[in-house]
Amino acid sequence: MSIFACQLLANRFSMLFFADETECGAERMKSIYGELICIFFLVFAPGYAGAQQDSAGFVKTVAGDVYITSSQTTVKAVANMRLSQGDSIQTGPNGSVGLIFDDDTVVALGPNSEIAIENFLFNPAEKQLSFVTRLIRGTFSFISGQIAKLAPQKVVLQTPDATLGVRGTKFLVKVD
Amino acid sequence: MIRAQWSKNILLLIFLALLFLLSGCAAKTTVVLLPDPDGKVGHVTVSTDVGSTDITQAREATTVKGRESLPTSPKILSSDAINAEFSRVLTMLPSQPVHFILYFEGGSTDLTAESRQTLPAILESINNRKSQHISVIGHSDTVGDNQYNLQLSQERAAAIRRLLVQQGVASTFITSTSHGEENPLVKTADNVNEPKNRRVEVVVK
Repeated sequence: MSIFACQLLANRFSMLFFADETECGAERMKSIYGELICIFFLVFAPGYAGAQQDSAGFVKTVAGDVYITSSQTTVKAVANMRLSQGDSIQTGPNGSVGLIFDDDTVVALGPNSEIAIENFLFNPAEKQLSFVTRLIRGTFSFISGQIAKLAPQKVVLQTPDATLGVRGTKFLVKVD
Repeated sequence: MIRAQWSKNILLLIFLALLFLLSGCAAKTTVVLLPDPDGKVGHVTVSTDVGSTDITQAREATTVKGRESLPTSPKILSSDAINAEFSRVLTMLPSQPVHFILYFEGGSTDLTAESRQTLPAILESINNRKSQHISVIGHSDTVGDNQYNLQLSQERAAAIRRLLVQQGVASTFITSTSHGEENPLVKTADNVNEPKNRRVEVVVK
């Protein structure tokens, strides 16, 4: 298991502390395992966890309660805050947020929503392109960006029920 | 007696746990396609373990209940139905970043007369979007060697950064990068004078 996947699982775990909707029990157990493995890594491979710092985008607008979880730390989101691969964003019952990714993809989250940026790479000169996110719950709007134009197969959006493939477009998603 | 009470409690607990699991996992996903800002309609493929559905028309939607089921066949929703569910995320959606390209005279950091006229539009866009994220990316054509062109593209980016700062843009909002002759707009052989490649791209986010 890579440190990256491990951080993701750990992020999921820490988010449960203020998740205000019920989650699947199985998911919880997975997260707890993730956390344990991650603690193992953090203890035995110090300094390694900070390696994933590539920018994925930033927060453009915030309304109400919005949180960003990054490497097990959760902070309240404010406009212009940087987003990185591995981060997840959660909104409260009165929260919503607008995000801009480095490839020009724009995304908004409605109330009680949660998204995880699993993998983001935008380096067109070296043909390194990837946009993999998980839509965990809530409402979302999207306008896809340059990755969807240059390499549509590299854009993958996962919901608990389905996988979405996108060909350069605007669309809405609701996960409940 | 105490034992019977105990097992009753455990049964209740198991029942509640099952209920919790079921309620937590009874999820569904709805996807709605909309026209792009330029009016074009793209397409989204919704896939599960057993099959997939494409939505290809404006306001067309599909719903899927779990990975072991098929997405429903596409259905066009009314604008009212869409607004009832999605008005919040539609108003919150940021507009996409705006790209500007500024061209330069050969071998120099002087803007062409035409590109000088583009500067006010860039400043206006920065103000309108209240942007704190502006990318300035320098490029060159292939006249001269790689090292020379890398430096030239850096100087071009620096020149544009200076111009923006002079006009009141905070320098901390600007990120400069430069690609030398490596990332041409128009592909050419080496040592080709190509005005379209002597450029700085400014992205206002």
